[in-house]
Amino acid sequence: MKTSVSSWVKSGSPWIWLNAGAVAISMIMVVSLITLIGVRGLAHFWPADVLQATYSQGGSSRTVIGEIVQSEQVSATQLRDAGIAVAAGVDSLERKLLKTGNRDIGGIDFTWVLDRDLSERAFPQMLFTVERYEWGNFYGFLRSFKRGDQVIASYAGSAKSSDYLALWQLLELSIARASDIRDKIYKIEKDQIGSINHEMERLRLEQRRWQLQGIERGAQIDAINLRRQQLDLDYKALEDQLITLYREINRDSISAEVSSGEIVQIEVAKIVRVFRANDMDQWQKSLHYLEKVWEFVSEDPREANTEGGIFPAIFGTVMMVILMSIMVTPFGVVAAVYLSEYAKQGFTTRLIRIAVNNLAGVPSIVYGVFGLGFFVYMLGGSLDQLFYPEALPSPTFGTGGLLWASITLALLTVPVVIVATEEGLSRIPRELKEGSLALGATKAETLFKVILPMTSPAMMTGVILAIARAAGEVAPLMLVGVVKLAPTLPLNMNYPYLHLDQKIMHLGFHIYDVGFQSPNVEASRPLVYATAFLLILVIALLNLSAVAIRNRLREKYKALEV
Amino acid sequence: MSKITTAKIDLSSIINGQKSQQLADEQIMLHARDLRVSYGQKEALHGVDMQIPKHKVTAFIGPSGCGKSTFLRCFNRMNDLVDSCNISGEILLDGKNIYAKDVEVAELRRRVGMVFQKPNPFPKTIYENVAYGLRIQGVKKKRVIDEVVEWSLKSAALWDEVKDRLHESALGLSGGQQQRLVIARTIAVKPEVLLLDEPASALDPISTLKIEELIHELKKDFTILIVTHNMQQAARVSDYTAFMYMGDLIEFGVTDTIFTNPEMKQTEDYITGRFG
Repeated sequence: MKTSVSSWVKSGSPWIWLNAGAVAISMIMVVSLITLIGVRGLAHFWPADVLQATYSQGGSSRTVIGEIVQSEQVSATQLRDAGIAVAAGVDSLERKLLKTGNRDIGGIDFTWVLDRDLSERAFPQMLFTVERYEWGNFYGFLRSFKRGDQVIASYAGSAKSSDYLALWQLLELSIARASDIRDKIYKIEKDQIGSINHEMERLRLEQRRWQLQGIERGAQIDAINLRRQQLDLDYKALEDQLITLYREINRDSISAEVSSGEIVQIEVAKIVRVFRANDMDQWQKSLHYLEKVWEFVSEDPREANTEGGIFPAIFGTVMMVILMSIMVTPFGVVAAVYLSEYAKQGFTTRLIRIAVNNLAGVPSIVYGVFGLGFFVYMLGGSLDQLFYPEALPSPTFGTGGLLWASITLALLTVPVVIVATEEGLSRIPRELKEGSLALGATKAETLFKVILPMTSPAMMTGVILAIARAAGEVAPLMLVGVVKLAPTLPLNMNYPYLHLDQKIMHLGFHIYDVGFQSPNVEASRPLVYATAFLLILVIALLNLSAVAIRNRLREKYKALEV
Repeated sequence: MSKITTAKIDLSSIINGQKSQQLADEQIMLHARDLRVSYGQKEALHGVDMQIPKHKVTAFIGPSGCGKSTFLRCFNRMNDLVDSCNISGEILLDGKNIYAKDVEVAELRRRVGMVFQKPNPFPKTIYENVAYGLRIQGVKKKRVIDEVVEWSLKSAALWDEVKDRLHESALGLSGGQQQRLVIARTIAVKPEVLLLDEPASALDPISTLKIEELIHELKKDFTILIVTHNMQQAARVSDYTAFMYMGDLIEFGVTDTIFTNPEMKQTEDYITGRFG
């Protein structure tokens, strides 16, 4: 027995098992993490069936309507402590979390109910869900449709009759109409009024600039005032248009019956979409699902980030990472080239290398503090003094923004790029360098024509690592320019198009904000998963594109294999 | 050959006479004077004096570590790249010291080209490899570059093999072709001197043969210095041979003489294979 064990050890099998085991455990953990996040996040968009049941507790009973979000077992002791009668011999009971919506009526939109107290369960076909721009979801039965004060159609039964379908049809048309009007309003507010505001602000700053130079009146000021009057007129015209549009959009409303039997009015203008989850087949549900997912990735957030989409956060993250890469790559490469090609190797260079390596281990929040102190306050403050004195005391660059966030991240990741590039430089065969020099090339020519192109895959490796690190970073960003809500994108049609001073949203910070700063925890929890999943996806995508570039470069500059 | 060995003593004086006559007749291209090279504390060359004839092939032989590669790399100042390397003495190229302060190293290396032991084509196309030196010099005209590329590849006996794939990667060539490409690349800048550092040691016999034939062709236009471990090769390709040992130049003369009737005991021992 003993000999067989020792021979087993000698054969190396335990090592192989150990190594394979380590790989397997890592793989399992990664896959299960992604699966958990993916399933939890993506399931949120699936239209769940809406339950209607009688909930009786403590002698009284009422009707509850809602989606079953979650169920779990609670121990009997815990329930008894809470004053709920539980029969002896029962260890635990099932309880369900219902999303009952109707926050404007009941005050809360989630309730826990004990499964045993639910009776007369049903999934009525006619139950409908209203997604609203305010107050979250609404669940109830559609009763009538009003245009102004006039009831156009109504329905009181509970069967899917032609009357009902006509009513439904009216509602859907009205929602489509409202949505068109809303698009118009959005366009006017965001684009036209937005650019008027932008120009007004510019004029104000221009006037202030003249003022600072001591010019209070004259041709320039007159021109500014003239332009301002013109803008005011434009604005008035747009305002009139808006008033008409708002009147138009508020034309229709519906009334619906909620679980308590009360009739509630809802304005069509506040409705995002309506659907009858219990009446949808799998195909319709899938369509609905895709629509919701698309909304999530393409639209602005609503309701303190608990509803709607996260497009500004995706855009901000990608934009920031790209800017960071653009800044960090040349900087890191130039530093690495000097360190390994030009600097005299010795104690000092070794010291610098150690320092660079250690820099990679500095906690990121320290970079955040440094960024805030040095970039935002010192550099930004000086920039404001020099170039934007007219805007003071409100800061332009003297506050967090896209530029400072990107630079801070670039600083955070520059050691990675330096190390990777140096590694790449040291792998270039000496013969190639000598070959170029022997042809009469100078050191710089050799560097640019032979060495740097061949090092480019290694540089890309550095950039990939930098992206992976930067895209997932949150802590420093909170100090240097990332905010909870910034629906205006840093890239738009107003001169100078790329607004480096603007604050941005970020997926990582969004996770923190939605998950831990939200007033409505239950509503926002699935969004944490969904956002995390999306963040992983975005990082993977950024990385894969960098890897693709690297592989192309590798193919092109394949090293010698003689 | 056997005749010479039997009448060794008689012939040696005649051949020695011929040798001095011959060397004296030659035009001198390179002249090393008291050349000393040391790496840190260790001296690798102990003051070498030597005159290299123009448009001839001069071979350097000697056991490993004898300093022949170091010596060769002095002619285009490749040793400058080694941080710890110290060089004293001088090398005259056309009567001008290449270690003088006002010498442009890049310009010197253009005049004194070098081919290394391992083929080292750049990871570019065949065409771009040959055009590299010209582009460095700022030649822009495509017609000129086309002509030079063709001439160089023809001179390096590679044209027929690659003319249809000039714009493919040079790394797809065989080792022997790569080495000839490197030679083409080197002669494309029209140097006056070619330094070959064991150019065939990494190649198979057929490629070696081609390189040797090439050297024979090239000596019409270039002064060639070749370091080799292979004594048959030195005997086949060179006009003059220098035997080096432990950082000293032991013997230098007409190749036939060195191989048939060396003056020094060490040379004879090395050539007959008694050591090294």
